[in-house]
Amino acid sequence: MLSYILRRIVSTLPVMAIVALFVFSLLYIAPGDPAVVIAGDQASPEDVERIRQSLGLDRPFLIQFGSWVWRILHGDLGTSIFTNLPVSALIGQRLGPTLSLMIVTLLLTIVIAVPLGVVAAWKAGSLIDRVIMGFAVFGFSLPVFVVGYMLAYIFALELEWLPVQGYTPLAQGFWPWLENLILPAVALGCVYIALIARITRATMLEVLQQDYIRTARAKGLGQGGILFVHALKNAAVPIVTVIGIGIALLIGGAVVTESVFAIPGLGRLTIDAILRRDYPVIQGIVLLFSFVYVLVNLMIDVIYTLVDPRIRY
Amino acid sequence: MSEALLRIDDLHVAFSTRRGMVEAVRGVTLTVEKGEMLGLVGESGSGKSVTGFATTRLLDAAGRVTGGRILFRGQDVTKLGGDDLRQLQGAAMSMIFQNPRAALNPIRAIGLQIADAILTHKRISKEAARAEALDLLRAVQIREPEARMNAYPHELSGGMCQRVMIAIAISCNPALLIADEPTTGLDVATQKVVMDLLADIAAARGMATILITHDLGLAARYCRRIAVMERGRIVEEASPKTLFSTPQHAYTRRLVAASPTSTSRIEDLVTEEEREGYAAMLGKPRLEPAYGTPPLLEVRKLAKRFDEGSAAVADFSMTMAGGESVGLVGESGSGKSTTSRMICRLIDPSEGDIVFDGQSVGHIASRDFHRSPLRKDIQMVFQDPNESLNPRFTAFDCIAHPLMRLDGMRAGEALRKRVEECAERVGLPLELLPRFPHQLSGGQKARVGIARAIACRPRLLVLDEPTAALDVSVQAVVLQLLDRLRRENDIALLFVSHDLNVVRMLCDRTIVLRNGGIVEQGESRALFDNPKTDYTRKLVEAIPHIETGKMLAAAL
Repeated sequence: MLSYILRRIVSTLPVMAIVALFVFSLLYIAPGDPAVVIAGDQASPEDVERIRQSLGLDRPFLIQFGSWVWRILHGDLGTSIFTNLPVSALIGQRLGPTLSLMIVTLLLTIVIAVPLGVVAAWKAGSLIDRVIMGFAVFGFSLPVFVVGYMLAYIFALELEWLPVQGYTPLAQGFWPWLENLILPAVALGCVYIALIARITRATMLEVLQQDYIRTARAKGLGQGGILFVHALKNAAVPIVTVIGIGIALLIGGAVVTESVFAIPGLGRLTIDAILRRDYPVIQGIVLLFSFVYVLVNLMIDVIYTLVDPRIRY
Repeated sequence: MSEALLRIDDLHVAFSTRRGMVEAVRGVTLTVEKGEMLGLVGESGSGKSVTGFATTRLLDAAGRVTGGRILFRGQDVTKLGGDDLRQLQGAAMSMIFQNPRAALNPIRAIGLQIADAILTHKRISKEAARAEALDLLRAVQIREPEARMNAYPHELSGGMCQRVMIAIAISCNPALLIADEPTTGLDVATQKVVMDLLADIAAARGMATILITHDLGLAARYCRRIAVMERGRIVEEASPKTLFSTPQHAYTRRLVAASPTSTSRIEDLVTEEEREGYAAMLGKPRLEPAYGTPPLLEVRKLAKRFDEGSAAVADFSMTMAGGESVGLVGESGSGKSTTSRMICRLIDPSEGDIVFDGQSVGHIASRDFHRSPLRKDIQMVFQDPNESLNPRFTAFDCIAHPLMRLDGMRAGEALRKRVEECAERVGLPLELLPRFPHQLSGGQKARVGIARAIACRPRLLVLDEPTAALDVSVQAVVLQLLDRLRRENDIALLFVSHDLNVVRMLCDRTIVLRNGGIVEQGESRALFDNPKTDYTRKLVEAIPHIETGKMLAAAL
C-alpha cells in the first residue's frame, strides 16, 4: 500500500513538470514582448528595459525556466509587480478564506447530497424521489450569483439570521468563522449537491439490482444495513470520482462566490491579478491550483483502493 | 399426519410489465415435509424460481402474490411484514442462488458476510459471530478457513463461492433451504462436490430443501420427490423413478426425452416434427475425405502464459479434418476456453503454431487477424447468447455485419437475401429479423449467434459452451442444427463443453484437458465408456445419470 502511494506520488512529478512549463510559458503565450506586457501601457522604453533586466528576460528560454523552477522548489514564487510583495506571502494571506470556503462547501455537499441520492434510489419512482430529483434540476439551472444574492437577501437582510458578507478567521472562534461561511457554502454547493445527488441515485439504482443485495435481503438484514453497508460502499467509486471532479470545478465557483460575499480569498486575488496583468501572481495561483488538483486526484486513487479490494495496486 | 413444514396453496404471482400484468405462477400447490429434499424442475420461464422467491419473500418490486397462501409452520408468509418477516428471512428459511460469485458482495470479506447473517439474528458479540463464521467455513469444507475468512469473492473459485453461500444460508440453522439452480455454471466435478455437501448438511441438520433446477438428472440424483413445472403450473409430481419410467404429462415426457443421457443420440432428444428432414439426412453416407487430404487444422505445441504466471495451456497439439467434430472437455480452469480462443485467433499463443488449411496463422497478431482472408473461415459461437449479442443491433444487423465486414457486401437486396438464407438455415423465422436481442427468447438468440457465425460460410466453427445457457429442449434442437450444418455444409466443429453427455453425442473425437495439458484423447464413445485415466473417470462419474434410461426408451 505504502509503495503504491509512493509510486503514485512519483508518477505525478511529470504532470507537475508539464504544468510548470505551461504556467511559465503564460508570459510568452500572451501576445507581444513579455517585458512590454508586464510594464503596461504607460511605460517608457527605459521601464521596459529595466523590467527585462530584472526578470532576466534577455536570457535563453530554457535557462529562464530552469532558474524559475529552481526558485519555486525553494519556496520563492517571485514578487508581485503591482504590490512588490512576495507572491507566496500574498497567496498565504488569502489561502485561509478560500480553503475554509471549499472545505465547508465540500462537507455540506457530501452530507446533503449522498443521503438524498440514497433515499431517491431506495424510493425510486415515488413522490420523494421526484421531489429530490426536481430539486436537483433546479440546483443545476441556477447560477451561483443568483442563488447567492437570493440567500443573502432572505437569510441576512430579511430574517437577519446570518451576516450578509465578510469573513472571520477561524482563530477568532468556530461559530463566527462558520457563520460567515454558511450562505456562501450553500450558494456554491447548490450545483454540486444536485450533481452528486443524481450520480448517487443512478449508481445506487444499479447496485440495488445486483444479486448480492438480494442475498443481503435473504439474510434478513434491515433496510439501513442493506442501503448503507452493502449498497453504498459498492456505489462509492463513481461517487468519489464525481466528488473529485467537483473539487476541481469548485475552484472556479469559489472565485464568483467570493466576489458576491466579499470574502478576501484567492478568488479575489486572482481577479485582481488578471486585471492588473500581475503575471508572477497569476503564475503562482495557477501553479497552486494545479498542485491541489493533482493532490486531489492522488487522494481519489488511494480511496478507490481502500473502497474496492478488486482494484489492484 | 402432522402439518407439513411448508404448504403452498394455489399460489398466483404476477409481474407488472410495460405490457400490463403477466402471470408467472398460476396456481401452484405443493407441500414440503420436514427434512425432505424436493426437486422443483422446469425450463426457463416455468415459474419455478418465482415460486421460490415468493416463498422467501424476495420477489422483485414488480412481482406480487395475487392469490393463494404460503403456509410455513402454519403461518402465512405472504402476510408477514416488518420484524416478523426479518425473523423468517435467513433464520427459519434461507436461500442460495445461481451464480454464487454475483450473489456475494464483491467488496466485503467473506467472513464478515457470514457474520452479518449471524449478527442479524442472534444477540452475540462480533467476536463470537466471527468464531461461528469460522466454524461454518469448516462445515462447508473450505480449506484453510482462517485464511479464507479475510478473502474476497473474486479471490475464490465459483465452487468455493457457492460453499460460502451455503455457509451463510445454514448459519442460523434454518428449517427450510431453497436452492435456486445452485450448481448451474459450475463444472460437473464441482457440481457433484457442492451438491453432495449440500445433501449431507441438509441430512445432518434435518433441514428441508427445495432444489430448483432445470436439470432433471440432478434432481433425480438427490431428490426422492420431483415436481415438474410448466408455464406457471405444476404438471406432474412423482418419484424420479416413476417420472422417468412412466411420465404422465406430455411436457414431462418431452423434458425427459430432451435430457441427454449416456446412451442417447441427438435424434432421440427432439420431437417427431423437429426431427423432420434430419433423419433422412442421417441415412446418407458421409463422404470420407480422399486419402492424403491435408488436415483442415493442425495445432502444434501450443502454449499460453498470462502475466509471467504458470502456463494456462502447455504443449497442446491436435489435428482436425474438414467436417470433423472434436470435443474439448475438462474442469473449469483446465484451459479449454483459452485453447479455443487461441485457435479462433482471438488471443495470441505464447508458443507453438496453428496451421489452417496449409497456412500458418499462429504468428498473426490477434488484433490484426480480422484483416486476414482466413477470418471468414474460422468463426466462433459464444457461450452466453444473452451477453454476446449487441443489444443495439437487430437480429438482421447481427447476421449482416460479418457479411459486410468480411465478405465486402453492401447494404441492399443481395445482402438481405444472404441474411435471410442464413436465418432459414438455422431455423430462425424471418419475421424475427427486425427484432432486438431482448425481444428474442434464449433459443432464438442462440440461433442468431449461430447464423452470424455461419454467415460467411466458415470451414471451422469453434463453439464455447454454446448450449450451457439454454433449456434442455432448446439445447436438443440447437445440437441437431449444429450436427446438420456439419454434415450438409462440411463445417468442422470444435466443441468446448463441460457437458460430457452432449460431447459424446455430437463429437467424433474428444480431447480431455486438465491444468492446460491433454490427459486423454480418442474416439468419443470409447473414451467415455472406458476412460483410461482417473481424471476422465471422475468427470464421467460426476454426470448426473438418469439411471432408468433404458426403461425410458421402452416407454417411448
